Amino acid sequence: MEAGNVIETRGLRKTFLDFWRRPVVEAVRGVDLSVRQGEVFGLLGPNGSGKSTTIKMLLGLLHPTAGQISVFGAQPSDTRVKARIGYLPEVSHLHPFLTPRETLMYYASLFGLTHAAARKRTEELLEMVDLGHAANRAVGRFSKGMARRVGLAQALVNAPELLVLDEPTSGLDPIGCREVKDLVHLLAKGGVTVLMTSHLLADVEDVCDRVAILDRGELRAEGRIGDLLRKPDAVRFLVEGLSDEAAVALRSEIEARVGRSVQQDCPSLSLEAFFLQVVASDGRLRTFEMAPFLKGTEKKEVAGGVVHG
Amino acid sequence: MVSGMTESVRRVGGVALLAVRASLRTKVVAALLALLTACVLILPGVVKGDGTPEGDLHILLSYTLGFSFGILCLATLWAACALFAAEIDSARMQLSAVKPVRAAEFWAGKWLALLALNAVLLTAVYAAVYVQVRWRVRQNGWAAAECLLSRRVTHPVLPTPREEALQTYQTMRRQNALPKGISEKSVLRALEEKASERYDVVNPGDPMRWRFRLAHPVSLAEPVTVRVKFDTELSTREQVKGVFQLAASAYPERAVEVRLDDFTQNAIEFVVDTRAFADEGAKKGGAVAGAKGQDLESGKGSFREFDLTFQHAGDPKRSSALMLRNRQDVVLLTPGGSFEANLARAALIQGSALALLAAFGLTLSACFSMPVAAFVATVLLMLTLVGNSVVQVVSDEDEKEWQNKVGIAVSRVVHQASGHALKAEPLTALAHGERIDGEVMGSSALWNMVLVPLAIAWAGCAVLRRRELADGD
Repeated sequence: MEAGNVIETRGLRKTFLDFWRRPVVEAVRGVDLSVRQGEVFGLLGPNGSGKSTTIKMLLGLLHPTAGQISVFGAQPSDTRVKARIGYLPEVSHLHPFLTPRETLMYYASLFGLTHAAARKRTEELLEMVDLGHAANRAVGRFSKGMARRVGLAQALVNAPELLVLDEPTSGLDPIGCREVKDLVHLLAKGGVTVLMTSHLLADVEDVCDRVAILDRGELRAEGRIGDLLRKPDAVRFLVEGLSDEAAVALRSEIEARVGRSVQQDCPSLSLEAFFLQVVASDGRLRTFEMAPFLKGTEKKEVAGGVVHG
Repeated sequence: MVSGMTESVRRVGGVALLAVRASLRTKVVAALLALLTACVLILPGVVKGDGTPEGDLHILLSYTLGFSFGILCLATLWAACALFAAEIDSARMQLSAVKPVRAAEFWAGKWLALLALNAVLLTAVYAAVYVQVRWRVRQNGWAAAECLLSRRVTHPVLPTPREEALQTYQTMRRQNALPKGISEKSVLRALEEKASERYDVVNPGDPMRWRFRLAHPVSLAEPVTVRVKFDTELSTREQVKGVFQLAASAYPERAVEVRLDDFTQNAIEFVVDTRAFADEGAKKGGAVAGAKGQDLESGKGSFREFDLTFQHAGDPKRSSALMLRNRQDVVLLTPGGSFEANLARAALIQGSALALLAAFGLTLSACFSMPVAAFVATVLLMLTLVGNSVVQVVSDEDEKEWQNKVGIAVSRVVHQASGHALKAEPLTALAHGERIDGEVMGSSALWNMVLVPLAIAWAGCAVLRRRELADGD
């Protein structure tokens, strides 16, 4: 494994078999991926492209048909590796009869935390995802957005070094989406490596440092977003306070120089930014406050792995 | 190391707590409690005894506890079949499986949850039955000391069926009387079965004698009960008369004589107070009369060996012979602790059987989806019950065709695997006031709660480690 890489796959393949062990579909075909420490990495692709299958192999939920996987330099099935990972699946899959508090206590217990430590983290996470008011209601009665917040909180209960988010904004309203993106930014700033998939390309563009695009199980593109989206032969000027006359004169001057017509527009807000301006003007959009235990730099040994505590 | 163990315990505790919460909040336990309550409260009212204290208590102990145990068996098996399967099918297992939890910790947590739930339910059932037993004893004015019993069972000193079969075989060989074309193994098995089930005949005027050697001696003033079961002609039963003589082997001259002229029941019990052996006058006094409580010259004041003699005293012209199986139908019952302790031992044996079923269901649950696991569990349970019968009746002749060979081989494997689980059946002994031996209880606990579950858990964990716990995109 290359130094500085948290995740590395080489020639990763997954073929699903039927009951008689006959191949049904080749979901992932020879994917080579590298996710570096501290970066936010986006895995993109249309439905059925192999994103979730790849993630599930990285988490040890599926076994690769061929190829190699290394997470923190070990196999995904290693419990020391698992102690360092947080995972939010596409559908939250929470136990409907548990309350958010019980849910978080349960997942904290799976990391071997003491009751007191688990209780403290649970309360901080409930506060962080703004579910303190609903902490004693059964999760089964929650809206999709609220359940998503519980799912997100359970993914952070061990203060993970690697956070795997499968469609993290799925089911969330724009305010929730914004909060998740803020959270990803904050975690990345704190040194957490984030691997996420999303159908919403704008979300990926907002938070990811690098992306990879999968299609029909194959890796089609990989790199920094800025590099991938750059048009090297085009230049854009952004000028504030320019009069109409000056703009017309400038445009004519440029057209005369390049010998062809030039596009001119006024920069606008993104729809998300406009929406948030309208609906969140009353302060509903919170400034995201990280749970104290996630901010800490002190480290504790938990279940053979190291987590921030 | 210690820290790792502590964390492991916390993980197991977390998994167990989740399983208990799931049972309580999905109303599985509530439904089960309703069913058990109906069984414990309604069944004793519906199934009537014969009016005697023994009959009534027998119904209460064997039927009520038996039905309740049956309900708990099925509930445990099917609940265990759901525990992993439902979590995997609903994809909830994905969230837990990505946490640093070993397969064995998942397995142990769920098994302990089932054990805890069963312990609570079984205790509730036994407590409810015990309260009813006490209430009936008080309500009917029965003597608790005579109804609520726990007695050690001692069979007569006789060669084992195997020894007797070998002896008979040697005799037949000397006399050239062995059947032709049948293997020695088959002949010996047939002879052994015959020996253990053999009826001996006591014709009018004939005597029969048995010696009993107690593993635990009885003290002076403790009662010794003789139980004899026999077959005789129904129409002439009333004409049968008999005289029993029970004596401590060390004091043959102080035998207690009991005359019986009521053979309308085919099982007869009578109690002899050991103080009767302390006095010569006891001979004339009958079962418990004549006891004076004098010290014996035996030193420790206890008895270890007894001789029982029966003399058929019926009129040879009017009464018929008695038939009985020496190895099964004649026993000596001596005090063996309290009824409550016996009840607790029965509960522990049944609890250990439930622990085994829970282990079995859990491993099937790790292998298959819920309906498949439940189906396989039920079929294997039936196969276990049938397999044990097959093993008992099968002979060499049955193993000639390959289909039979396969069936018999499967039955033998099932019999071997389940033999220890089925061997300890506590309710018959409990209902008859017979002490359930600590050895039987210990063996049941060791096999059903430790050794077999460990083997089953190993298989279940191996499957869990290899199984893919998610689907693709």
